[in-house]
Amino acid sequence: MEALWEGLKEAVRLIAEGDAELRDIALRTIAVSGTATLLAMLAGVPLGYALARGRFRGRTVLLGVVNTGMGMPPVVMGLIVWLLLVRSGPFGGLELIYTKRAMVIAQFLIATPLVVGFTAAAVQALPRDLPDLLAVLGASRLRSLLLLAREAQLGLLAAIMAGFGAVVSEVGASMTVGGNLQGNTRVLTTAIVTETSRGNNNRAIALGIILLAMAFVVNLLLTMVQQRRAAGR
Amino acid sequence: MEVAFRGMEFRRSGRLVLALQDLGLASGRVTAVLGPNGSGKTTMLRLIAALERPERGEVLLDGRPCRPDRETRESIAYAFQHAAFLSGTVRANLDLALRLRALPAGERARRIEQAAAVCGIEHLLERNAHRVSGGEAQRANLARALCLRAPVTLLDEPLHGLDRGTREALLAELPGMLRTFATTTILVTHEREEAMRLGDDLVVLMGGRLRAHGEKGQVFRSPPDREVAAFLGYTVVGDAAIRPGAFRVGAGDFELEMVVEGVADMGTHLEAWGHAGGTLVRAALGGGSQPAAGERVTVSAPGQAVVRWADGAGKG
Repeated sequence: MEALWEGLKEAVRLIAEGDAELRDIALRTIAVSGTATLLAMLAGVPLGYALARGRFRGRTVLLGVVNTGMGMPPVVMGLIVWLLLVRSGPFGGLELIYTKRAMVIAQFLIATPLVVGFTAAAVQALPRDLPDLLAVLGASRLRSLLLLAREAQLGLLAAIMAGFGAVVSEVGASMTVGGNLQGNTRVLTTAIVTETSRGNNNRAIALGIILLAMAFVVNLLLTMVQQRRAAGR
Repeated sequence: MEVAFRGMEFRRSGRLVLALQDLGLASGRVTAVLGPNGSGKTTMLRLIAALERPERGEVLLDGRPCRPDRETRESIAYAFQHAAFLSGTVRANLDLALRLRALPAGERARRIEQAAAVCGIEHLLERNAHRVSGGEAQRANLARALCLRAPVTLLDEPLHGLDRGTREALLAELPGMLRTFATTTILVTHEREEAMRLGDDLVVLMGGRLRAHGEKGQVFRSPPDREVAAFLGYTVVGDAAIRPGAFRVGAGDFELEMVVEGVADMGTHLEAWGHAGGTLVRAALGGGSQPAAGERVTVSAPGQAVVRWADGAGKG
């Protein structure tokens, strides 16, 4: 308890003093995980919709792959991306390894199955006849998709929260493909590992508290939107 | 607007679901499509609405093939069997349907009020569409289809899942609603009573094939074969079919010997039931004594209630 209290005091001090390194790490965390979540949304929502509504060969196998991906350990995903991006790997020429872009790629691959899985579940929970109803009413394909997305928005927001929550809290993939380079690819989770290994427990706890607070604020905002929509139903 | 099927075949996963060689549904009339579950009734509506595409042949609206395009969609209003709504009020749901047809606000409001009045849902307009009862949802579903005033209105089991009171009320009101709003109506049901009370014409589908089509009284009085007769409620004995409700205990034009298996009090009358020539027969009891189980009695039907087919015609 004592350590936690000290950590909390340290966190307040660091924030109050406007610690430059801390601010950079926090902003970098938001930028990397936010970008990865945004990309996962762009790819995962249409994919989830297609998986939920489509009737094609291999759909069940694909759903199985997505469900496996939802439980994939981030460090394993990090290892796969590392093997692909490392200088001797097939995409080594792109020189992405140990950059923020590599971290975004890894986090995107971690978040996407979650977004796809949650989206598919949200779309499958909609009344079965809704797409046909909108079609016979004369809605264009795009209008139909937008109306259906509005119907499934509670589930879609849950998908975004799950995706962001997973990538902002993972450490294995960021460490493997980002390298935890100070001032460059260090994010809150990898910084916590570094400070702990250096024996700077108070600073590690402070970073942990900031990470938690950040995740809480983002999720609180999304939850507020979600619940306001739910209340309007 | 006339709806026609020409050399049309529709398959799902290789299995023939519906085959209609040559069927025209007259403009301005209510056609009731009657058939057992799995006979292709709903598929027929989905083909007209261009939600399905035939493998062979065509589905035509006034001679123009049905396609998933604006012209076909705007010719059709379709109330699904299970009323589905978007979140929001009943009014918002009706309004969306009209907005998608690009109608101006004033016209939309007028049509919603009128459809709501005719369908008896004025008090539900501001209610959440997901929080209305089954009967109210069916009415709102009908109102949404009817307010479109499309040249062709498709109704899939419009009285599905309603309690008896609501069903009776809608059964009485629906013909008036259809007269007010719809021109050509195609209504799917598996209930003979609904088909007879709501339709002008009758289409009987069985196993994905057209088995009878014509003015409802004519189809009902002259079923083409035994299978259709049995589906229409006739008691089929040998080469004869006896109209539902025509059997009485006692002598008459068409007589059968029946071994009584029981007597049921139907409230309005007593009904003896048992087997005659291997067929289950129900016959109303007039005055006189009540037969006991196991007793052999004569049951009969008047001649005009009996249909007979020429040799082989009734084999179905």
